[in-house]
Amino acid sequence: MDSSAITWVLGLPILGFLIQAFFGKTIVDAMGPAKGKRLLGALAVTPIAAAFAIGLGITQKLYSEGHEGGHGGHVVSLFSWIDLASLKVPFELIVDPLSMTMVLIITGIGALIHLYATGYMAEEKDYPRFFTYLNLFVASMLILVLGNNLALLFIGWEGVGLCSYLLIGFWYKDLANSKAANKAFIVNRIGDWGLTLGMFLIVAFLGANWSRLPIQDGRLLSYDVILPALETLLKENVPMATAIGLLLFVGACGKSAQFPLYLWLPDAMAGPTPVSALIHAATMVTSGVVLLNRMHVVFEISPIASGVVCAVGAFTALFAALVAFGQTDIKKVLAYSTVSQLGFMFVGAGSGAYWTGMFHVTTHAFFKALLFLGSGAVIHAMAHNQDMRNYGGLLKYLPKTGWTMIIGWLAIAGVALPIAVGTAPGLGFAGFYSKEAIIGAALANHHATINGMNLSVISGWTALFVAFLTAMYMTRLTFLTFFGKEERWRSIPAHAEHGHDDHAHQADHAEHGHDDHHHGPDEHGFFFTEEEMAAQPHEHEHHHELDGTHTPHEVPPSMWIPLAALAVLSVAGGFLLYNNHFFEHFLYPNDLPVLGKVEYHPHGLPLDLLWLSIIAAFGGILAGALVYAKGLPKKEGFDESKWNPFRRLAGEQFLYDKSMMGGAVDGGRELGVGIWKGIDSWLIDGTVNGLAKVAGGLGTGFKAIQTGYIRLYALMMLLGGVGLVGWFVYQASQLGGGR
Amino acid sequence: MQGVPLVAFLALGLFMFTVGVVGVIMRRNPIVIFMCIELMLNAVNLTFLAFARYMPAPVVTNPSIPASVMGGQMMVIFVMAVAAAEVAVGLGIIMAIYRLRDSVDIDEMNLLKG
Amino acid sequence: MLEGFSLPFPITPQLGVFALLASIAAIASVGVVFFQDAIRSALCLVINFFVLAFLYFSLNAEMLGITQIVVYTGAIMVLFLFVIMLLALGSQKLVKEKLDPKKFIGLGLGVVMAGAVASQIVLPLAKITAIRAPDKFGSPQAIGYTLMSQYVYPFEIASVLLMVGIVGSILLAKRRI
Repeated sequence: MDSSAITWVLGLPILGFLIQAFFGKTIVDAMGPAKGKRLLGALAVTPIAAAFAIGLGITQKLYSEGHEGGHGGHVVSLFSWIDLASLKVPFELIVDPLSMTMVLIITGIGALIHLYATGYMAEEKDYPRFFTYLNLFVASMLILVLGNNLALLFIGWEGVGLCSYLLIGFWYKDLANSKAANKAFIVNRIGDWGLTLGMFLIVAFLGANWSRLPIQDGRLLSYDVILPALETLLKENVPMATAIGLLLFVGACGKSAQFPLYLWLPDAMAGPTPVSALIHAATMVTSGVVLLNRMHVVFEISPIASGVVCAVGAFTALFAALVAFGQTDIKKVLAYSTVSQLGFMFVGAGSGAYWTGMFHVTTHAFFKALLFLGSGAVIHAMAHNQDMRNYGGLLKYLPKTGWTMIIGWLAIAGVALPIAVGTAPGLGFAGFYSKEAIIGAALANHHATINGMNLSVISGWTALFVAFLTAMYMTRLTFLTFFGKEERWRSIPAHAEHGHDDHAHQADHAEHGHDDHHHGPDEHGFFFTEEEMAAQPHEHEHHHELDGTHTPHEVPPSMWIPLAALAVLSVAGGFLLYNNHFFEHFLYPNDLPVLGKVEYHPHGLPLDLLWLSIIAAFGGILAGALVYAKGLPKKEGFDESKWNPFRRLAGEQFLYDKSMMGGAVDGGRELGVGIWKGIDSWLIDGTVNGLAKVAGGLGTGFKAIQTGYIRLYALMMLLGGVGLVGWFVYQASQLGGGR
Repeated sequence: MQGVPLVAFLALGLFMFTVGVVGVIMRRNPIVIFMCIELMLNAVNLTFLAFARYMPAPVVTNPSIPASVMGGQMMVIFVMAVAAAEVAVGLGIIMAIYRLRDSVDIDEMNLLKG
Repeated sequence: MLEGFSLPFPITPQLGVFALLASIAAIASVGVVFFQDAIRSALCLVINFFVLAFLYFSLNAEMLGITQIVVYTGAIMVLFLFVIMLLALGSQKLVKEKLDPKKFIGLGLGVVMAGAVASQIVLPLAKITAIRAPDKFGSPQAIGYTLMSQYVYPFEIASVLLMVGIVGSILLAKRRI
């Protein structure tokens, strides 16, 4: 394997990052904002696109090699990083189907989103900073997937976490954004705790079984060493496999926003929309699934860990899908949808069909990036109002955005026709194939069984129900946004004319109208200087509000071209990857080492799986259409007190977020105050001050001895001398009279 | 000089040292105190020399001139050097104090009082 | 001599000479502390040092005996007398010695220390009479050789110390430099 090619794949985004970071501002200053930004945009997109092209070449080569029989992947060692006596962690990259799949997703989708962002962020003053972060994110993500050891994975893991934090808080002058960024960062720490403990446990476990390692060169974190070793060693020690698996899963939960730790992802929507698409939908959040695929040996051996993965995934999918019904913010709906789809991936991976998880990662990257970018285009067109209740009938204003998003909607809903083509049972959009594979794998397997309870089958039925819900809430989103005769924003009075409290509608509107309405491309830029803020606070408040006079305009080509590309992928990507078991055999050319051949065509169902999937998809769409075809139902209007209890609870995430944040924040504060008063003020300060007082008291007491009379000092000295001689004399007498 | 035991020299040294110690405590005149210190130093010198002659270190490092035998005398030489320097500086200090306070009573020098 | 009591070492003529010199030195040392007048103390000290020089000769330490006379009796004591006379600290300006509990305590402690050392160090060594050092061990050649070979660093450091002492005393003594 040519090592330089893969080095370029990783190096180009890093190069792009360095250019943006060090020369970005200079270029903008030197060339003027318009030209400078165009050049910077090109400089940001090019490295990613080039990396994608190179990655494509490498994958092609890898694929042809796979056909010839060699498939273990190639390890490219770049340099030695940590070099201890019994633990060596080189900086080495792995080129195998899993890593290359992720590389293509990251660079491919990444390039499209970068292109989109050059249009979306065109009016941004801090243009270079945005692309610096974005390029750094791509580089970190590539390290995460390409690294051949868990330590490099962890570097990437933290790197993408950092970029996520920086980009969520990109408009940091708004306190809410900073808080969302902090929340994401802090919640992710819990996951990192699990991941690091898992890594340490692996090192400790393998170190303790040193003599049985196949390669004893101290690379206790490198996949090519640990995976075969773990396979043989963990078979004899299943509880250890469970422990390692659960710890790694805690890490995956944090990054991939699974149930106990999903809290940060919806808030992460405070970042710019391209960021939501790239980081919080297509790539970073799937790294948990990548980790599970990478370490699948551990999960294969431990049914308990697999069961937990399945159960958590299914519960998250259901929970997030229900919450999505209560959201009015278009990006929040997509955020919960992402959480829900991630749950699907975990169900697939937990059932033992690891490739289905990766398959859904891939198709989800296509259609979710499409949906996010489309929503960004809508938000852009609607003066940065994100509330779907203000939309309606937008299809005629935004035809390109509208039709591509409709494709995304059909793709995520899993629409298909029962026409068998190739090896595929039906002909459908991307989402259909991956979801069908996951549900099939879950229903067909019995690996994830704890105490006789087959969690994967339960998860499978749950996932099928969630597929129905998904189709329904996505229909809600699409209908509220693009269809209906009513153009609801027309009823918002022009801002100059209204006061804050004219009527309930306005009050609610002000309250729910949008998280980042004053951010976004506009002729005044996103940022106001301190002086500007002080000078015109009111103008700042209302400047970009949507009102009845607004006319939406279609977005520029740099924004709809990526949409079109993603739409094509959402239509055809699923089938191309699925047909002839292409993706399955590419990722896992052999049977799994422990579980053997994993089935994903369940038998003995009341109805064929194909029909179940199709019924779920069309059923959901139909149900959604029935409710939302006429426009915004009264029960979901601006007056939230008229909402039914379910929707109100869903809107508040069934109080989970509130109680968690309340518990963590208030509990944390109580603990902090307790420690401050109990330990710091009383114990530590008391001890220190007490010691100081003792020393002071002793000093005052002994001061009396310091008479200043030298002869007295001499006398004291003599006293000491005599004492010393006396001591020696005593010692000598003990030893026998000085002899 | 044959026929004199080691203890004779040691006894004289001990006596002189004790007198010096007692003198330092008892006298108030700093010059006399200095003299007493010199007395103690000489007592120690005498002891060094006596030991050097009667009980030299057994280790022989150089066959022609046993250096270890010379240890005691070397010590005396350095004690003398230090004593000379000390007296020079000490007497200088006493003169400086005298010029400042027109008195040399050591009990009046109590700036160190706490 | 009392019956049944014998010294651990023989009485020799040399011991008599030593006793004479030692008693002079002892009396002179007591005189240093005893006289109120600093000049008398100084003169007593001169006698003491002079006698000590003879004792050094008797220990075969010729070189050090001569050094003792030249450095102590010659230089240091002259310095003492010079200062005493310069400050006119003679009988006219005596520092009054008052009765003081410190004196008795000091005396007592001194005696205790002497007793302790004598009982434990001096007495156990009473039987040693043999001279083990070679005859020429105190000759100028031996001392010079040792000083310039094995003890050359301390020797040089001592010279620096003396230099510093000289500079220091000049600084202290001069009103204006």
